[in-house]
Amino acid sequence: MNPVLRLDNVTKRYRGQTALDGVSLEVPPGVVVALLGENGAGKTTTLKILLGLTTADSGEAEVMQLDSRTQGDEIRRRVGYVPERPTLYEWMTIAEIGWFAAGFYPSGYLQKYRELVQQFELPADRQVKQLSKGMRAKVALALGMAHEPALLILDEPTSGLDPLVRREFLESMVDVAAAGRTVLLSSHQIGEVERVADMVAILKEGKLLAIEKLDDLKNHTREMTLTLNNGAPYLSDMPGEVICGRVQDRQWRVLVKHLDESRLESFRSLAQVRDVEVHTPNLEEIFLGYMQADEELPKGGGR
Amino acid sequence: MFFRIESANGLAIYEQIVRQVKFAVAGDALLAGDMVPSVRELSKDLAVNPNTVARAYRELQAEGVLAPVRGTGLEVTAHAAKHCTAERVALIRERLRSVLLEARRSRLDLDDIRSLVGEELSRLEKTAPEKNAADKKGKNP
Repeated sequence: MNPVLRLDNVTKRYRGQTALDGVSLEVPPGVVVALLGENGAGKTTTLKILLGLTTADSGEAEVMQLDSRTQGDEIRRRVGYVPERPTLYEWMTIAEIGWFAAGFYPSGYLQKYRELVQQFELPADRQVKQLSKGMRAKVALALGMAHEPALLILDEPTSGLDPLVRREFLESMVDVAAAGRTVLLSSHQIGEVERVADMVAILKEGKLLAIEKLDDLKNHTREMTLTLNNGAPYLSDMPGEVICGRVQDRQWRVLVKHLDESRLESFRSLAQVRDVEVHTPNLEEIFLGYMQADEELPKGGGR
Repeated sequence: MFFRIESANGLAIYEQIVRQVKFAVAGDALLAGDMVPSVRELSKDLAVNPNTVARAYRELQAEGVLAPVRGTGLEVTAHAAKHCTAERVALIRERLRSVLLEARRSRLDLDDIRSLVGEELSRLEKTAPEKNAADKKGKNP
């Protein structure tokens, strides 16, 4: 099956600052994929390049086999996009803004928009400038979903919203996914991502550190806490691929990928290893591990 | 039945759903012939990815806990209770094993562990005497 969206070696700089650095990824249809990363990691830039709202310095981007660089208009007509801070005409009512937007889309849009407005319990005759933040967000979501797009792109959809509205956003995403369509979101709400995502992509300083099925990522990542004997040197030969590690006195906490169980057993029996505890980390712990990834492990062990 | 999904739990969400259905069956919260919610309903209710719910249901079907009813959905099978009760014992055994392993790693010898277990068992007899079989309560995994 053709990917719904694809980036191939995309690089983007803003005034000498690297926003994206050789990012390649593919997303198959029918999944919920989440972009995770700190502020400034390149999440919004990624979304904007895909939508053709900004162009990559090099590399290719496409959405539904359309070139983001040259066919941005068509892409934006076909996908649903809810920006982090939606700009809406303040003087229009909720009903009017839907009618206005319907002009850009095939017929059926207005009907569906009205259904969503009702489902979200929005006051159709109220002006946008009189809406709460949660209501505005729901209007933006209704506008982005009314043409039932094959791909829904959400930039920080739930940040700053109250728990009830967040819940409604999550339910909408789940609904879109249940209909076999694709959702691409960027988020800081890792707990929410853990519930709704099939795939996660982790960005750091413009580089893509991982893109994987969430289940796989969780299945093959383990956190080991090692207790070493006094004065033991650092063990360089870990029974897995080290993502990051921290040291505190004579304990090491190491996040590893593909922990090798049989090597772990022989590791346990090493003279300088007092104890090894293995824990299955949640997504937040995995994410934080990736964020700390390039902080060097100090050499030499406990004091 | 009610579910409790803990996204921050290391256990995969589909696995949490599988276990909770099994515990509900073992604890008589779900009886043979009861229908489980549809994938779409449950995923919306829990705000979890529908593929995750579908995967949990597939697994439960493969194990014979749930079976499709023509055109309407999935129901708890007649022999599910027996299977789930056995599963619950297996899960408890697994947890017991990891506690024993932890005791071993804390450098307790087998006699220490035996007397610990013995003490706890006799305490259990006093504080929580056996109830009749109809009153088995499933605890959340």
